Amino acid sequence: MIRPILLQGHERSLTQIKYNREGDLLFSVSKDHVVNAWFSHNGERLGTYEGHVGAVWTVDVNSSSTLLVSGSADNTAKLWDVSNGKCLKSWEFNTAVRCVQFSEDDKLVLIVTEPRMGYPATLQIFNVENSTTETVSSEPIYDFHPEGPKITVAAWGALNRYIVAGRENGSVALIDPKSGEYISTNKVHELTLTDLQMSADRTYFITASKDKSAKILETESLEVLKTYTTDTPLNSAAIMPKHQEFVVVGGGQEAMDVTTTSSRQGKFECRFWHKVLEEEVGRVRGHFGPINTIAIHPDGRSFASGGEDGYVRVHHFDDDFFTFKFQI
Amino acid sequence: MPTNWADEVDGIEAPQTFTDANGITTHIEFRINDDGKKVKITRRTRNKLIHDKVNKAVAARKKWPKFGKERGNKPGPDPATTNVGDNIKLKLSSTGQVVQDVDEKHEAMKAQLQNKKILCRICKGDHFTTKCPYKDSLGMEDAAATLTPAEEPAAEEQQGGSKYIAPHMRAGASSGGVGGRPGSAGPDSREKRDEQPTLRVTNLSEDVTEADVSELFKRFGHISRVFLARDRETGACKGFAFVSFTMREDALRALEAIDGRGYDNLILRVEWAKSSA
Repeated sequence: MIRPILLQGHERSLTQIKYNREGDLLFSVSKDHVVNAWFSHNGERLGTYEGHVGAVWTVDVNSSSTLLVSGSADNTAKLWDVSNGKCLKSWEFNTAVRCVQFSEDDKLVLIVTEPRMGYPATLQIFNVENSTTETVSSEPIYDFHPEGPKITVAAWGALNRYIVAGRENGSVALIDPKSGEYISTNKVHELTLTDLQMSADRTYFITASKDKSAKILETESLEVLKTYTTDTPLNSAAIMPKHQEFVVVGGGQEAMDVTTTSSRQGKFECRFWHKVLEEEVGRVRGHFGPINTIAIHPDGRSFASGGEDGYVRVHHFDDDFFTFKFQI
Repeated sequence: MPTNWADEVDGIEAPQTFTDANGITTHIEFRINDDGKKVKITRRTRNKLIHDKVNKAVAARKKWPKFGKERGNKPGPDPATTNVGDNIKLKLSSTGQVVQDVDEKHEAMKAQLQNKKILCRICKGDHFTTKCPYKDSLGMEDAAATLTPAEEPAAEEQQGGSKYIAPHMRAGASSGGVGGRPGSAGPDSREKRDEQPTLRVTNLSEDVTEADVSELFKRFGHISRVFLARDRETGACKGFAFVSFTMREDALRALEAIDGRGYDNLILRVEWAKSSA
């Protein structure tokens, strides 16, 4: 039995949730302009980061849990002090910010903006080393205009050697963070990529796509290692780092069709798949709408999901979960 | 503890506190209540100190003052933003049959009931109670809450089984107004429980849990209830349990298979539970 903790800090659908490195804090962003910070063990809200005036699409925290970066549809990305909610820096762009991420060494921030109204998509890298309010530069150290399909999700590879970008046409691309050039691309999905999460050592990653499948790819070669095919469009996929060799994927019917179906038919469940054997092992239900984002605690003892219904549900696994052995 | 003579004059004995071998502290005090009567209040508590090692940074973050919308709020989860949801089952299986689980069960049950008469408990129509068009208006919380749709037909069949039930004892008789028993508005849960085939399992070892018992018996069929007698203080198993099945045949098979079987180096004894009435 799992007793989920419901976090009701948002009034609109969730867009992303993320744990910090130790997993004691959980950050959630939604279309209602607010960034929330929660203690993951009991669901207590630590505070809110206020300042955005548009839907917040993306959030990331650095490994020492001192800095938080968020990207919004109000054409800004903001850098926050995690401990007190103060905004340290607000970067202005021409279009909405789609994706933000700290590099592995916390020195750089990757920011991806959308192409819109004649402005091309940009992929910018800012230096945030030793950041205080005065020292953060407004100018990026790299500003690329990647050609080709729109980038929907992006992440740093190991040792900042690559940027892995998932694109609207279902392809995945490796980008050189120094030159902005494409190193290689691989069209692995039929439809747009909705999520891309790195493994703990960043040597492989999992993608989720609207084409109802999730895949594990090797970072260096972009080779597909595993495929998990479900019966519903997927919005998020995460890799369980410890205890069990599982991946968790979630999605559901498109938000616009939801009112026509019951929650069971809508398939709003987090599905657990065996990472290696590509077999589904279990499901966790509870959301009233599609699941937009999933994050797993770094120690693998709990996971959280955020849905179109505006709730974040934090699940701490029961003892049976850890003693389970997959029988072939 | 020796009581003071001065206290005794007032008729109030001094509170006593003692700790027994199980680490349970008993605190007894006497008080005069609002009606002027002397009452004895006994409180039994057990303290358990749990040590947990956490990362230094995590411990420091726990002490951070709240900010933003939470500014000035006291520590601890605020019910306005944080709630606990209903229990959810995450059943892990190796067979890869997670997907059709519910539907298959439903289909199997349908096939089984094909040539049996289906009677809705709400409107007495020719369909399952869960599919009743009057379900929401006439209300059936009692039955619907305890049974999931897939299992419902099984229970229904059980109720309409071969055993004769006097008309005034039947479910729904009271609504018909045939002069039902005084004070019974409908079948209560205890009554329902007694109708179900229940096994009494004895000679269980101390560290058996409900999960173990249901693991042991669920292979024979659907279990509607497992009750494990536990020690009120220590929480350890008292050595016996009751297992209710929805189908009598399943219970019979379980009885034959498990009775006399070794479990946790004890020989289990399984028999039909006697009605408490």
